[in-house]
Amino acid sequence: MHHVILERWSRGRSPLHRRDPRFKAVALLVFLVVVATAGQRLPLVAAVWFLLLCGTAVAARLPLAAAAARAGIVLSFTAVFAGISWLAGDPARALSLILKSYLSAFAVLLLVSTTPMSGLLHGLERLGAPRFLLMVAQFLYRYLFVISEKAQHMHRAALSRGFGGSRRRSGRMEAAAGAVATLFAKSYGRAEGIHRAMLARGFNGQFQPLEPLRAGAADWAFGAAAVLAPIAVRVAIERGA
Amino acid sequence: MPVWATLDAAAAPAAAVAIRRARSTFDPARIPALGVMGAFVFAAQMINFPVGAGTSSHLVGGALLAYTLGPAAASVVMIAVLAIQALVFQDGGLLALGANIVNMAIIGVLAGYLPFAIWGSGGRRRAAIFAGGALSVAASAVLALSELLLSRVPMPRPMLAISLAIFAASALIEGAITLAVVEALDAMQPNFVRKPAERPLALAALAVTAVLLGAVGVLFASTAPDGIEHLTRIQAAGLPERWLGKTAAGLGGLALIYAVCLVIGRFAVRSRAAAGRSA
Repeated sequence: MHHVILERWSRGRSPLHRRDPRFKAVALLVFLVVVATAGQRLPLVAAVWFLLLCGTAVAARLPLAAAAARAGIVLSFTAVFAGISWLAGDPARALSLILKSYLSAFAVLLLVSTTPMSGLLHGLERLGAPRFLLMVAQFLYRYLFVISEKAQHMHRAALSRGFGGSRRRSGRMEAAAGAVATLFAKSYGRAEGIHRAMLARGFNGQFQPLEPLRAGAADWAFGAAAVLAPIAVRVAIERGA
Repeated sequence: MPVWATLDAAAAPAAAVAIRRARSTFDPARIPALGVMGAFVFAAQMINFPVGAGTSSHLVGGALLAYTLGPAAASVVMIAVLAIQALVFQDGGLLALGANIVNMAIIGVLAGYLPFAIWGSGGRRRAAIFAGGALSVAASAVLALSELLLSRVPMPRPMLAISLAIFAASALIEGAITLAVVEALDAMQPNFVRKPAERPLALAALAVTAVLLGAVGVLFASTAPDGIEHLTRIQAAGLPERWLGKTAAGLGGLALIYAVCLVIGRFAVRSRAAAGRSA
């Protein structure tokens, strides 16, 4: 499964991995807004931003080519709209859609591949995101792999029983519905087991982070640089027209 | 451009309401269940349903979650699904998250739950389940299309017709899949799917009409985007900047839609209370 790669990357060691997740999240948000609102001389601004992001990836000791390629997944979604804009006679808009979506995806990728999900969600909680939602997201991420694997097992088991050979479509529809219902029941049962196990270990309604977040001078320096650099690039190039 | 920002701004309070409702109606100690059901939504997408002509489709899940967990908890699960999707799977994008939350997690889930809440316990239960699945996808898709049009993505007329046809087909498919899965769940263990409270018929018809009119209205408004701006020109008139005016107009339009939803919701609560007293 492809998100296992992110999981591995996010547990790497680099100065960037060590930064407080709160600063990385805020820097990402600022970058996304600065990208989304950019207009003048976009190709040049985008090129410099791309180099900045590449530099960040290298500083984080991520495999640059693989990371840049992974961020390209987003293009399969935006290419459609870019194509439409192009055909409707607006190539500038098509280009801007592609550039902006790619840069945004690259930036998000850098955040999630330098911050383990639990740390990121904890940071977001400290930034004021609702805890209930973050806990749901945390469990979702934790059991995503488990339940997906179960679905794959069920699929393989169904194939080995000769599923798919049936000519009757309604029969296959019923079988697929049964598979989803079984997966639902298994997930539900699993959740109850998890809940009982958590109660048995003294869960009191909230997670206790293993190490509390602490913002040091390096974090503030990083945060300032990460927020200001993209803005400075855009202002410098737009003014220098 | 201001469309995504407007929707991000709108998604935050809507999500807050859903979370508060989910917390009050759903035992917070059972948060793991919500997370695992989110993982289930991801995993269920691996199971393919044959839909004819050699193609296959999969469950979207908003309506199914609403039937099993209740609408507020279902919204929270869908928000978590969308957030994880935007963070981990590089699709959709983080700034579009607000739009996705409004379209799929809030409106999609509510539109999917509505027919079930009204007819879910009577003889029309199967039809209601089918309609809920279909309506949830239809509402999300029409909203997404409207938002694209509002942000002035050029969309030639034949393209619009094709996308609407595709939306209609995927809505019917989601309805069929949701119904099939609910029937399989009922056969397995009948208490997985909740039993909605009884509601009067007139209110039901009114609510469904309101949703349909709303969806169609939004689509029409966005094919002629000046319409909505015109409607809310009062707020926009005094503002100098064009984009500021547009944002204000968009916010005004959203406030209008919120107000309509509030009125409908208030009405629904009152008539449910009345039904409770007479019972």
